[in-house]
Amino acid sequence: MSRGLKISAALVAVFTVVAAVILSTTGTTAEPDTTSAPGGSAAATAVVRPDSHRLSSAPQGSPVFVEFLDFECEACRAVYPAIEQLRAEYGDRISFVVRYFPLPGHFNAERAARAVEAAAQQGAFEQMYQRMYDTQADWGEQQVPKDALFRSFAADLRLDLAAFDAAYADPATAARVAADLADGQALGVQGTPSFFFDGRRFEPSTYQDLTDAFDAALD
Amino acid sequence: MPSTPPSTDTAAPAGTAAEPGQLGRLLPWLLLVAGLVGSLAAFVLTIEKLASAADSNYIPSCNLNPVLNCGSVMDTHQAQVFGFPNSLLGIAGFAVVAATGAGLLAGACFARWYWLGLQLGVTAAAIFVHWLIIQSLYVIGALCPYCMIVWAVTIPIFWYVTLRNLCAGTFGRPLRTSAPTTSGNHLVPVTMWFLIVAALVLHRFSAYWTTLV
Repeated sequence: MSRGLKISAALVAVFTVVAAVILSTTGTTAEPDTTSAPGGSAAATAVVRPDSHRLSSAPQGSPVFVEFLDFECEACRAVYPAIEQLRAEYGDRISFVVRYFPLPGHFNAERAARAVEAAAQQGAFEQMYQRMYDTQADWGEQQVPKDALFRSFAADLRLDLAAFDAAYADPATAARVAADLADGQALGVQGTPSFFFDGRRFEPSTYQDLTDAFDAALD
Repeated sequence: MPSTPPSTDTAAPAGTAAEPGQLGRLLPWLLLVAGLVGSLAAFVLTIEKLASAADSNYIPSCNLNPVLNCGSVMDTHQAQVFGFPNSLLGIAGFAVVAATGAGLLAGACFARWYWLGLQLGVTAAAIFVHWLIIQSLYVIGALCPYCMIVWAVTIPIFWYVTLRNLCAGTFGRPLRTSAPTTSGNHLVPVTMWFLIVAALVLHRFSAYWTTLV
């Protein structure tokens, strides 16, 4: 083996090790320290973050209902009308929080989350959130990027397109989505939709389960 | 004419000794293989482009995930900078590279003007490919696997043709030292070059890669 070949092989080896270390450590630091705080109030801090998006005007200290969702997930689309109805009924008394959980198997899920996040930066989180579900049948389950379609939603909402494009492509936007995903994974979320109510995992099977829990918390 | 030999390739003895040293054995094979691989990648890209032009719902074979995705790259204006798909340039250019390699293996001895022309071509290709790398990473935000094959062959083609021309005196005076070509030293810059591009790719999409871990 010649000297040049040895040097090259060494460079490749060092690079591989460094890259693997950096990738694996950033992967773990993105996850919050929930492992050291099982259940209770400490876990609640990871269920909702200060920058998490709220879909209601409930006052500070209201019970918090969190949904980890994927805009391309059909089950999320199926519960969406129920969530909208709950929001109409309880939105003034219960905080509705949305967290991104784009599943890797859904081709456009992460893009949709980025589009919603980019819209959120212009104060249009709710409108884009609704638009994604209203149009899911048009773009879901397809293996081609729907960037242009998502951009057209931003245009329909009369957003500043230059700012939208910049935010959509900004690694910080992707990181914001990834941070929600990492929080969800740390909380044990594996699929969507996954709900948390007042910091605890909540698995309603009927609409009644939800209203009962809300009523009980409000009493 | 003692003053002319250094500036002309044809002054080298005819036959297999036309290309000096280690590079002389490596270069023909590199040009042939990298040229064929590049041609093939450019050809497949062209086929994918034609298929998606004919059917807007066509899903290219290289759409693997949101980041590794040639569909979103092929649809951009950067993919047809000169008004036609870039891959057509690749089919023509890589064929010349492969033919040059095959010619060398067959014992051909190219004149200085040929090497200068090849240098011009591979330099333009290298500049273009690096512009495309920047566009793909920082503007389009997606990676196209076949395009990355083109990046991967263009870099060594440029490096080795340039090194060969430096050593053979195609640019005027031949390189005095043989250090860059002996004991495999020529591998080091090209390896570092690859690693820098790989580092940029890893860094740019680190948010995505970490979701796969």
